[in-house]
Amino acid sequence: MNQAEIRKLIPALRVAMTPKKRRFSNPRGPEGRLFKMRTTVNELIKNERMEVNYNRADEARGYAERLISEAIRYGDCHRPTMELADFWLPEKQNVHKLFKVLVPRFKDSEISYTRVHKAPHVYPSTLFDKVVLELRGNPFPPLEKLTTKRNWIHNILLEEAHREYLEKKYKQEGEEEEEVQ
Amino acid sequence: MSLLSVTRSILYGGKNNLQKIEVINLLLQQNTSVLTGGTGGGATTRNMSRMKKTRPFWQPKSTRTLYPEELTPSNEAFGSEVISDQHTSSSTTSPLKCEPWPRGVWSEASMRCGVIARKIGVYPMWDNNGRRLLTTLLEVPDNEVVKYIPPEKLLEHTHPKKNNNTHTKEMAALVVGADPIDPRLVTKEYYGVFADSGLLPKKKLTKFLITPDAKLPPGTPLYASHYRPGQYVDVLGTTIDRGFQGVMKRWLFKGMPATHGVTKSHRRPGNIGSGGEKARVLPGQKMPGHMGNKKRILRGLKIWRVNTKYNVMWVQGPAIPGATGSYVYVYDSWYHHCRHTPDNPPPFPTFFQDEEEGVEEEMYHPDLHVFSKPSIAFNEK
Amino acid sequence: MLSAVPRRIFHTFFRKPPAQRVTAKVPPYIRDQLDSNTDNEQPLPHDFRTVYPEFLPDPRPEWRNRLRERLERNDMLTRRSVVAIPEFYIGSIMAVTVGDRNASDKTNRFVGICISRGGTGLRAWFNLRNVIDHQGLEIMYEMYSPLIRNIEVLRLEKRLDEELLYLRDALPEYSTFPLDMEPELLPEGAPVPINDIKVKLKPRPWHERWERKNLQGVQDLGLPQRFYNKAKLHEKPWEKYDLMMEYRATIPEEEQADIFHEIAPHYQQLESSRRQSKRRLAQTSRY
Repeated sequence: MNQAEIRKLIPALRVAMTPKKRRFSNPRGPEGRLFKMRTTVNELIKNERMEVNYNRADEARGYAERLISEAIRYGDCHRPTMELADFWLPEKQNVHKLFKVLVPRFKDSEISYTRVHKAPHVYPSTLFDKVVLELRGNPFPPLEKLTTKRNWIHNILLEEAHREYLEKKYKQEGEEEEEVQ
Repeated sequence: MSLLSVTRSILYGGKNNLQKIEVINLLLQQNTSVLTGGTGGGATTRNMSRMKKTRPFWQPKSTRTLYPEELTPSNEAFGSEVISDQHTSSSTTSPLKCEPWPRGVWSEASMRCGVIARKIGVYPMWDNNGRRLLTTLLEVPDNEVVKYIPPEKLLEHTHPKKNNNTHTKEMAALVVGADPIDPRLVTKEYYGVFADSGLLPKKKLTKFLITPDAKLPPGTPLYASHYRPGQYVDVLGTTIDRGFQGVMKRWLFKGMPATHGVTKSHRRPGNIGSGGEKARVLPGQKMPGHMGNKKRILRGLKIWRVNTKYNVMWVQGPAIPGATGSYVYVYDSWYHHCRHTPDNPPPFPTFFQDEEEGVEEEMYHPDLHVFSKPSIAFNEK
Repeated sequence: MLSAVPRRIFHTFFRKPPAQRVTAKVPPYIRDQLDSNTDNEQPLPHDFRTVYPEFLPDPRPEWRNRLRERLERNDMLTRRSVVAIPEFYIGSIMAVTVGDRNASDKTNRFVGICISRGGTGLRAWFNLRNVIDHQGLEIMYEMYSPLIRNIEVLRLEKRLDEELLYLRDALPEYSTFPLDMEPELLPEGAPVPINDIKVKLKPRPWHERWERKNLQGVQDLGLPQRFYNKAKLHEKPWEKYDLMMEYRATIPEEEQADIFHEIAPHYQQLESSRRQSKRRLAQTSRY
């Protein structure tokens, strides 16, 4: 039909997605692909941080984002959403966690619910790109070091340069105004 | 390394009189070898490289490896401020840095400059007889002349043995750029190309061969109104990369039946050579291989409609090479029957849209149905 | 860890990943700041997207371009200001008058039931079906073609299914409509009625395997059990859980709002033509 689907209104994803789905080989076909995704989403909701292959993480991330946004939008008294949660979270304590912990956590969030960090290859391992996939607001220590870079030499020099630049600029503008008057 | 890249990013903003930056320059003089080696000029090619790629003399290497610069947000903003100051101050007076050049007069031997366009999609239009036409929309994104290469200079850089246009007749060239980008992302050499014209560096740069009477001063903007409805153009683009493909997709072979005893050769080419005394495969045999990602030119395409507000032109046909969003080059058509005649000369050397008053927003070909007109009615004959 | 891996599978396990073609990602949708003026605050009718579905672009990211979509919408609105395109749904009975060079009076009017509808932008189309002289006829009309001179909706209603292509295999009385059919009036502000008629199909062979389509608007197909067993094998019950497939087939809510707010200045004109058609005044506006 080539027309956009209009039966359901879906809020925009907050992460970039691939234009087409990735095809993960599986003897069970497209159904098995979803089961693979389900394993990752379930683990993510349960553990809040995990190390996976990049392709798997990038694909599962969209599903996790959509699941959380559906849960926030419709709540736990909406039958189709409950069916969704039932499919995506085979460990049933995660269903409770989704509605009772994650929905309040992300209710007022303006940014994405998940994050992806690059992870190193630790020899010996496969050479597939590894990433760390995590939920925002998790209880673990942050992966990125929050250090101030303000006292680095180039930043100090540039700040001084900025100050001089502005002084010069205002001085010039003042001179021009005087000339006009 | 971060120090280097930061300094470069500021330096490439253009000329500066800043003392502090001079200090950084002094600091960097100790590392001169690193600085020159890291940026990578256009002329350096490795000896044993199999992928040897020579660049034309007017186009140095544009990109460089971007390291995390670890700038504070205020310093980041400072860089943007310097860039915007340098590039907006000139626009308040005149975009051209030099005096306007005398404009040539069109003759039948003249060759005009082309434009860089972006393919933004395909949609149908209808002509006055109700016939449906598929048209491709080409956007002309911020095209500006970057450089004029006179014939003598061009001749120096052309291969003496190649019998091309530059030798048979006097040809010059215009370097044209499209889509401005952040100067902090490009190399110093690439930024230098734009220094004379005072433009921001361009994402896409190309050279158009012209006759010297069609020359334009650097900084002249080119618009979609460079072309008029009814004119014919040639469009050069790079086809969609489809990777390694079999004969059925690449050459539209028929394949072999799915059943009737056929095994393991449903999509194979079949026989590739004749027997007898030849006993070899003739050159040019259609075989599996890489498909797409090649330059292809479509010639003699009619322009149906031009929008001067958004700089878009509607060109005949859905088959312009390239995916949606890819760049294409548009030239005046090469075909004899599509060329301009003295009765209908083109805007020459280009259409100076800023100087003209009362330019129509939409220009239509007279044969095209305009949506604001009533439905088509056929009269009794 | 290395010693735990048998030597034979070492090279397969510690292999390089297959070369992947890098495709540009689709960035998250950012609302257009230029367009978000005060007009955005006024609420839009809830059924905007069902009445004007062709104003939403094709969701396939490779083909999308915002400038092109905007130019296309401008052209659509210009055309709509010339010829009123009424509100209609699959199952509505419509009459379309087009200019026809070969007809004796240079126009052609056709009445039929809308069995399918599709396309986005200026490519939008719909199919009408009727049975005339025991011969089934289907005509596809392009909604924005300048040959179209008038579109009337004779009976505005919906059916139970998204497509009525099965009428091709139904008894002819279900798709027979008189060419001089009188337009039926709907009271002002009434919801669009849903016709829950159950159609009887002719015995097999059919154009398609209708037992696999989960049709609502047909009577019992009367097939042997093996057909239903086969149909069960072809079901894809997991698709309703595929959240990303669902997402890739839609335009996000925020973007839809932006698009409909962009055409909001023309909304009065669109609505008047829509109300007109409901009150059956459109039939008098001939060229």
